[in-house]
Amino acid sequence: MTAVTAKRASHPQTPRRKKKTNRDGPGSNALIGHSKWVPYLFSAPSIIAVAAMLAFPVLYGVYKSLYRAPRFGADQEFVGLGNYVDMFKSPEFLDSLTKTAIFVTGCIVVGTTLGLLFAFALNRVLKRLRFLRAVTIAPYIISNVAAAVMFRILFNTEFGMLNRTIEFFGLDGPRWLSTPALAMVVVILAQVWTDLPLTILLLLGGLQSIDSSYLDAALVDGATGWKRAWHLSIPLIAPQLMISIVWLSYSTLTGLGVVLALTGGGPLKATHTLPMDMYSTAFQSLKMNEALAIATFLLVLNAVLTLMFVRFSRRYEVAA
Amino acid sequence: MAMEVGQGPGAQFPGAPPRAPEPGLTARRSGGRASLARSYLRRALIYIPLILLVLWTLMPFVVTLGISLKTRGEVFAHPDLIPNTPNLNAYREVIERPGFRGAFLNSVVVGVGTTALTLVIAVPAAYAFARFKFRGRHLLLLFTLLPRLVPSLGLMVPLYRMAVTLGMLDRRLTLVVVYTGMLLPLAVWLLVGFFQQIPRELEEAANVDGADLWKRLRFIVMPMALPALITIGVLAFREAWNEFTLVLVLTSTPGKRTLPYELYLMQGIQGIQNFPAEAAFTILTIVPFVLVYLRIERYIVQGITTGSVK
Repeated sequence: MTAVTAKRASHPQTPRRKKKTNRDGPGSNALIGHSKWVPYLFSAPSIIAVAAMLAFPVLYGVYKSLYRAPRFGADQEFVGLGNYVDMFKSPEFLDSLTKTAIFVTGCIVVGTTLGLLFAFALNRVLKRLRFLRAVTIAPYIISNVAAAVMFRILFNTEFGMLNRTIEFFGLDGPRWLSTPALAMVVVILAQVWTDLPLTILLLLGGLQSIDSSYLDAALVDGATGWKRAWHLSIPLIAPQLMISIVWLSYSTLTGLGVVLALTGGGPLKATHTLPMDMYSTAFQSLKMNEALAIATFLLVLNAVLTLMFVRFSRRYEVAA
Repeated sequence: MAMEVGQGPGAQFPGAPPRAPEPGLTARRSGGRASLARSYLRRALIYIPLILLVLWTLMPFVVTLGISLKTRGEVFAHPDLIPNTPNLNAYREVIERPGFRGAFLNSVVVGVGTTALTLVIAVPAAYAFARFKFRGRHLLLLFTLLPRLVPSLGLMVPLYRMAVTLGMLDRRLTLVVVYTGMLLPLAVWLLVGFFQQIPRELEEAANVDGADLWKRLRFIVMPMALPALITIGVLAFREAWNEFTLVLVLTSTPGKRTLPYELYLMQGIQGIQNFPAEAAFTILTIVPFVLVYLRIERYIVQGITTGSVK
């Protein structure tokens, strides 16, 4: 929402009445010549579409999560927070919550580490090696399902590239996708692979906008290499780092496509994250209201995490 | 020109101002062997991650392409990256599947439909928000942009229920409308920024010359905003082409699915996995993008950076 606030700030804040007389020069609607209904007419389709396809469904989902059908096909009755209470009592839900925590943490750690590494490297050579940017964003044009197929091939036990490499060194490659702990690793890597273009571009944007006089000053003070990166560049790109972490947590916390297409939650529910739980509750157990409770919980959790990251990053910026 | 739109910190990247050469690389060139080794080390520190980046990003593509050119037996018999006898059998097999052709057609229709509808709705809305002052403008803009934060996971069940109630399951139109709704916040946001940069004086001059609102939109605003329109078009088409979780719940009969859904089903149906066919299918879903990739790359970059800064 930065644009909204930025726009407001750029206008001189004159009271509404004054505006008419003061800013009636080039800025007035009258000169462009239109009836006063035109802006409403123009923006109405967009507002209606967004309301009908995004705002209403979500609110409707939250509302319906307070209801429950006693038997399948019976009329729904109001149960208040009953679905949520049962949800937190259910061992499957708590299990999925743990899996989600591992998945999201793993994705943020791996994604941010790789993102920083690649962004720092790209920052030095982007002028000369423009094609690297095209390479970087290639995963962005792939659907989650296609990425899952690719990773299933890459991590195949018999002929996968990874195990072939391991065998080359005389070792036996593991059965990646049928070992619970390793399946989680593969899912995290695949999810990070699809999300990394955005992380890299964000961090790279931050690095490119650093004023080089800071870096020169640090150099004069004798700070080089890791020191400079850690104490100077990273604090300076803290806002971008925060945005990329928020985005990663948003994308992985609510991300269903990669997990569903790659493992389907298995093996032995090892990768059965909360989005998977919501999907199977809704479309396999056909408990729509219970699934909506899970979805609502994820939306709230996502909002809480975002606020947490934003607050943490503020403190970090001040401290640095 | 397209790069000037972004307003957030992430958007500086494509059009970043020229900077002085990195002082670290030149300033420390004095002294004996120690500093020479240092300079090699420094270079390695940059190039090793870059090689890793290329491997990390392109390996899945390369491996998949390799598998798609093999036969089913060859996958296990000759697990090398490059097939012994490259052949297009897997591609032929995929294209001959009625499921593939139907899904491909659906994806094209939904993709084109989403792109067109998004542009038709977003352009006037963004123009209104960028050019006109009207009561409730800020509130309405906020109301258009804020729902962008809604993840599609939160929409699956509600949209499914709505589609059932309205009898709109299994219709391409439903997908087009849903995807358009999901893209509008981003599209409006991007276009508002762009329209505001078009000098108002241009339009006023045209107005004096007798050009009405429609003519000004058609002959001044739209041509000048072309880069932004292309960006939105690319993003919209990509979203419609690749979206998986919503098409999964909004369609159920064969012949109504799009490519990602059809590809997803391939794994389940076959029993014994047919890796070359899956790989060929994957490659075929990417082909439309690969063909124009270098031309649309900068628009993708712009779309990603602008879209994420909120």
